[in-house]
Order: sequence, then C-alpha cells, then structure tokens
Amino acid sequence: MWRKSALSFLALALTAASLAAQTPPSGGARDSALSQRLKARPGDSLGRLEVPEAAGRAQPVVTARDNSELIKALEHKIHCTCGCNLDVFTCRTTDFTCTTSPAMHQLVLARIDSGMTEAQVLDAFQKQYGEMIFMAPLKRGFNWAAYLMPFIGLGVGLGLVVGVVRRLARQSARVRATAAEAAEAAPVAGATPEEMEQLKGELERFEA
Amino acid sequence: MTELGNIALWIALLIALWGSAVAFMAGRTHRADLGRSAERSIFALWGLLVIASAALMHALLTHDFNIEYVAAYTSRNLPVFYTWSAFYAGQKGSLLLWALVVTTFGAIALLVNRGKYQELTPYVAGTICVIAAFFIATMVFASNPFERLGFTPPDGRGLNPQLQNPGMVIHPPMLYLGYTSISIPFAFAVAALVSGKLDTGWLHAIRRWTLLSWLFLSCGIVLGMWWAYVELGWGGYWAWDPVENASFLPWLTMTAFLHSVMIQEKRGMLKKWNIGLVVGSFLLSIFGTFLTRSGVISSVHSFAQSNVGYFFLFFLIFAALVGFGLLWYRWPMLQAEARLESMVSREAAFLFNNLILIVIAFAVLWGTLFPIISEAVRGTKVTVGPPFFNQVNIPLGLFLLLLTGIGPLIAWRRASTANLRRQFLVPTGAMVVTAAALAAIRMSDAWSIVAYALGAFVTATVVQEFVRGTGARHRLHGENWALAFFRLVGRNRRRYGGYVVHLGMVMLFAAFAGLAFKSDTEVTLKPGQSVDVRSPYGHVYHITHQGISQYEELNRFVTAASVDVQKDGKYFATMKSEKRQYLDSMGQPTAEPATEVAIRSDLREDLYIVFAGAVKGTEQAVYRITINPLVWWVWYGGLVLAFGGLITLWPTAQGPTPASRRRAEPAGYVAQVGA
Repeated sequence: MWRKSALSFLALALTAASLAAQTPPSGGARDSALSQRLKARPGDSLGRLEVPEAAGRAQPVVTARDNSELIKALEHKIHCTCGCNLDVFTCRTTDFTCTTSPAMHQLVLARIDSGMTEAQVLDAFQKQYGEMIFMAPLKRGFNWAAYLMPFIGLGVGLGLVVGVVRRLARQSARVRATAAEAAEAAPVAGATPEEMEQLKGELERFEA
Repeated sequence: MTELGNIALWIALLIALWGSAVAFMAGRTHRADLGRSAERSIFALWGLLVIASAALMHALLTHDFNIEYVAAYTSRNLPVFYTWSAFYAGQKGSLLLWALVVTTFGAIALLVNRGKYQELTPYVAGTICVIAAFFIATMVFASNPFERLGFTPPDGRGLNPQLQNPGMVIHPPMLYLGYTSISIPFAFAVAALVSGKLDTGWLHAIRRWTLLSWLFLSCGIVLGMWWAYVELGWGGYWAWDPVENASFLPWLTMTAFLHSVMIQEKRGMLKKWNIGLVVGSFLLSIFGTFLTRSGVISSVHSFAQSNVGYFFLFFLIFAALVGFGLLWYRWPMLQAEARLESMVSREAAFLFNNLILIVIAFAVLWGTLFPIISEAVRGTKVTVGPPFFNQVNIPLGLFLLLLTGIGPLIAWRRASTANLRRQFLVPTGAMVVTAAALAAIRMSDAWSIVAYALGAFVTATVVQEFVRGTGARHRLHGENWALAFFRLVGRNRRRYGGYVVHLGMVMLFAAFAGLAFKSDTEVTLKPGQSVDVRSPYGHVYHITHQGISQYEELNRFVTAASVDVQKDGKYFATMKSEKRQYLDSMGQPTAEPATEVAIRSDLREDLYIVFAGAVKGTEQAVYRITINPLVWWVWYGGLVLAFGGLITLWPTAQGPTPASRRRAEPAGYVAQVGA
C-alpha cells in the first residue's frame, strides 16, 4: 500500500511536469517536478531519501551474525520458497524485492538461537516444507538414482567403448597378421621392407 | 501493416505445407519440377516471414498498443534500442524470429549448395518446410504475435527491467541462431537417411553449419553468462537453471559431433553415431524450447505458460520418431569402413571424449528432469540445484579436460611408446610442476588444484603443437617464424582453430575453478563509514560509503549509492551501484526496482558491489560485497573460444580433406584398404 501511494505520487509529479512543459509524454523528461523537488529540498543532515520507495524494500541493518559462516553455509543448503530457484542466502542478497528469503533467514537465526545444531535446523526445515527445501536431493533412497545414474552411465559407456575397441583391435590384429603372412608368401611385386615402410608412410599422408 | 503480417503468416503456413508435400514427392519421383517448386517454397516462405517480421517491427516502433504483444512488451518511453529487442522478448515474437531464421538458413543452404547434392536437396527443402510449418502453425493457432486487444491502452507495460541490458539484446538472438541453425544439419541428416545417400557427402554439406551452430550456441551461452553476472546481481554467472541447462545440452552434443565427425571423415567410422548426434542435437534444441514454453519445470527464464508447450511436445515426439526411425531403417547401410586398431589411438581418445560429453549431457538432462521423475516415482518433490550439478559434473568435466589434452597428441590408428613419450613428456611435466606449485602455496581446494594442473597440461599440449608445427615449416621451407606460424594455421585451420578453442576451454575451466575462492560480505554503512574486505590474493579493499543520490534518467528513476575504494591503501576506484525504478510514459512504475551492480574487474579478481537498499529511508546503505576471482577469464575465454571457432569456420581453398572427399564417392577407396 505504502509503495503504491508513493509511486502514485511519483506518477502524478511526472505527469504534472510533462503537462507544465507542454510536451507529450515521452522518455527522458529530465526536468520533472520530481527533479525540481529534489533540488528544492535536499536531504537533511540525517541523509533521508526523497523517494525511499524508489530504492526498493527497506533493508534491516546487517549484523555480524548475518555474515557468520555457519549461517551462510546453512542458507546455501536451503531452497528459497519464493519460486526463484535460488538458495536462501543468494536470494536474500540478490532479489531485494523478495520477502520470503529474509523471513527464512530470520527463521534460521531463530533456530540457531534456540540451541539447535546445523543438522537439527535442516531437519526442522524439512519437517516444515518437505524434501524440496534442500538445494540438492538428500543422499538416501530413490534420490541415490540422481547421483549415481550419470556415473553408472559412465561406467556402462566405458565398458562398452573399451569392449568394442578391444574386440575391433583384436580383429584388426588378426587381419594384419593374415595380411603379413600373405605378404611373406607372395611379396608385393618384390617390394623391400624399406619400400613397404615408404608405402605405409605415403598411405598415412594420403589419408590425413 | 498488422493485417498484412497476419495474412503473410497464414499464406506462409499454406506454402510450408505445400513445400513439405512436394519436396518429399520430388525426392521419391525424381521430378525436377516438383523439386524446383519445393525450393521456391523456401524462398517464398522467407519472403513472407520477412513481411510478417517487418509488420511486427512496424507495430512495435509505432507503438500500436492495440496489438497485445506490443502492449505487453513495450511502452512509449522505452528506448528504441530495447523496442527493437522487444521483438523477441516474448514468446510470440520469439516464435516468429525462430521461423524467420530457420527459413533464412534454409534458403542460404539451398543457394550455397545449388547444383550439388541433388539427391538430397528435395528432402532438405522438405524437412525445412516441415520445421517452418510447425513454427508457423504454433503461431497462428496458439501464439499469434498479431493478436489484437478489445481496446487500445494509452501505453504498454514496458519491457522487463532485467531485459533492458545490452547483453540481453545480443544473447537471445545468438542462442536462437544456434538452436535454429541445427535445423540445417538435421535436414541434411534426414535427407541422407531418406535417400540412402549415406557417404560423407552430406557431412561436407553440413560441416560449416555444425560449426556455425556450435559457434552461435557458444557465444549465446557466454553472453547469457555475462548478462546474468552484470544484470541479475547474484554474483555468479551460471546457476544450473533448467533453461541454462537446455542451452548447454545441444552445445555438448554438437561438441561431441565436431570431434566424432573427424573419425568418420578420416576413417569412415562412427557413421551411426554421428547421425544419432545430429538428430539428438536437433531434438535437444527443441527440448530446450519446450522447457521454456511449457512450464513443466520452474525456471527464472520461463515464458508465460500457454498451450504452446503441447505443440512443442508433439513436434519433439514426431521429430524423434522420424529421426531415430530412419536411423534404425538405414542401420545396415551404416557399416564402418575401417576398424579401430588400438586402444591407444586418436580414434579411441575421441571415442572417450564423446562418451564423456554425452555422459555430461545425460547428467545435466537427468538432473534437470529429476524433480519430475521423483514426483512421478515417489510422489515427493525435490529440488535439484547447483550443489547437485557441481558435485556430479566437476569430476566429469575434469576428465573431459584431461582428454582435451590427450586426444590431439595421440597418433591416428595406433600410437607407439616412442610417440607417447615424445608427445606427452613436456605436457605431463607442466601438469606435475603446476600441481606441486599450487600444493606448495597451500591452495585449499583440491578440485581447483586438479583443474589448474590439467589446464597446464592442455596448454602445454597446444603450445607444443604450435611450436613443433611452426618449427617444422621454418626448417623445411625456410620461412621466418611469424610467416611459418600463420601459414601453419592457414593450411590447417580446422586443426589449429580447434587448438585455439581448446585454449579457450582451459581459460573457462580456470575461471570456474576460481569460484571455489569466492567470498561474500554483507554490510550496513552510514555515509563516511568504511569496511575492509580481504581478497583470496591477500589484497585488502577499504570501502567507504559516500552517500545515496536520487535522480531521473531516460525511462527510470535512479537511486545510486556510491563508494570510494582503496586497494592496499591506495585509491582504487569510485564505484556506483543503483536501484532503477522503471516508469512508463505516464510515470507509472512498470515493475519492482531493479539492481545495477558496480563491478571492477581485472585479470585476477572482480570487486562486485551490490546496493541492496537503504535502511528506513535514510542514506544508511546495505551493500553486498563479493570478491569473485578469475571472472575475467570467463569472458576472454569465451572470446578465445569464439576466435578459435572462427578460424576453424573460415573457408579454405582446399575444402574437405582428400580422405573425406574419397568417402563422398560411392565406392570408398578406404573401404577396400581398411578391411
């Protein structure tokens, strides 16, 4: 409500400025009533903002506990429920319009204050919101599928590739051996080993 | 003009359907007149979609707010630069852009290959017409950009503030270009499968398209990272969001294809696999779009939910059935012409590289879909966020980095012990020395040590290749070193461009490893108050809050918080972070205030300051201060990657390699030799 009324005032001021200047509404109206108001009434010694609403949601004073590594680590594990896909710490320090993550932060602080350990805090969140409150699936039960499937895929893939390569390499070795025997029995038009090497080299170059 | 655009879309739909039908008939009956009609359909489609696009652009620029799309994404005071980008800011416009780009690429592909690949061309035209028909049908039946409102609002809602950023003007079109250009390799793959012309001819036709598509995707992804970093204000550039993942998936499969196609060109192997990768890449590009449009997965990027998702799901299933069905049908014709001779060969290394790329793609897809799978199997929703993706993908990524170094150094067919020793002695030495040095300076993160050691390994392999190649030319041809270097690269752009890409990847990995040392601090400061923040390199930033000012600017009202920064006791910078309240021309706010981050970047670390807001309407400000090591390396790594891609893409007089050209002929020479 407060935001609406403040912004309505802002809107009125801008419209009035536009009308005064007798220009159609357009961007870049730098000398609006709002600007004049800012010039006319500079911030007092307390440094108050003329239009606090335009600076977003009012922020609480940061305390040392907000920067505590324990709190950060905990909040990095907890999913903000505002629908943003971020963890609580990232959301509350990024999306300053979000009211959910600051509330969840307060809940984390309150639970730590009540003497809960890190694990107990996480348990309490899980009871409250279910498993989706964690940023990654818990390593238990069906969730192991999430973690293991890529590596099972890798294992199966490696097995297949190694198996196929070995089989093909064996077949290839047999073909080469047969070809060598045939070459010994009937040398290619009397080619010397040096000439064979040269031929092989030429073939390699040809295929590159 | 709007009516003209709407009519153009309807006519385009009819022509796309006509083109699809006659193209496949032309392919089957070998009737030249039908083939010509199909080709002309593509050009006509392109013309009609240009008219439709011009009509939409005209509506946007003239503020025709009776058009729902114009009212939803623009306002009178939106700068022209961003009014232009509103064309693809919403679902309807982006579908039109997609259709336009597909037909543009289709027309170019037909023009470039005129007179060549005559048995493939009708099917290529037909496939492009089918894809275009799908997009146009989706527009006219479910998401028409020319839909009118029952009234004309005096002004529009304006563009989302976060989209009013230069990065956002370039990033989405780049990704669209990447996604859509995959349609051309897909069309050639379908054409090769339908016609049975499965020699390497179709590969020659798509070589540049696959590179182009990969390049666009790479640029789109890096630009998206840059936009997220400078605009969203969360201090990172990659969040493993489902839509980010959706752009990453076809990039991975295209990267795999760019490696494995070399084996098919040189040795006539992996034919089935390569067709599978092209089909898979196309399906993943559609899947990415399905994710953003359907709302099945929550994402910050999602468009408004609509029934468009069903269209995409249907098309996805249809394309998968056609693509893989044809591959199954032609399976017996796709036998390898040569055999792998050794586990220690470049072919085997590329196979492992492909395996890792596909496993990473699978891990990303699996993680993205796991919330749905979990809900279906257990009835329990879970969140799969960055901790999961990092845990799974870091080891896989490092394995890939290792193979990036190994692959180019091993000989084709079979590497001898002497070859291995000669090639790997220096790179392995560089890797060991780097790991030892980092351990000696007590770097705390083990994964980072491994990443930097492997980075040194890959860099050494690339440098060694350039030095040896240049040295060989210098000795053999008597060229000076610079000339020898440029001729070396010019004569084999694909190979050396690829090495430059590898260097870009090393830079990116180095940057990602730097994230382990990121630090965040939140502070509240009154004007004149300071805070000291220590960086991982030991520098101390002394940050003093100067005050908050408010003023109007363009289409927004700005609240700017300024800080003076000293680094190690010396003046470093004055930085300003802002809150921007965007307003429409009536002075009404268009959204919540958006944050503009203050960033000072150098080779080693970024100082990243976000003005969170003011305390009780005073000049007492809350800041989040982040020290982000090595972020510079992401942007310049991306540039190096793109530069390497351009070298590879640059046309050569020689064209495909002799071995590859031979395989394009019906009776492959190597087919006889390799057995």
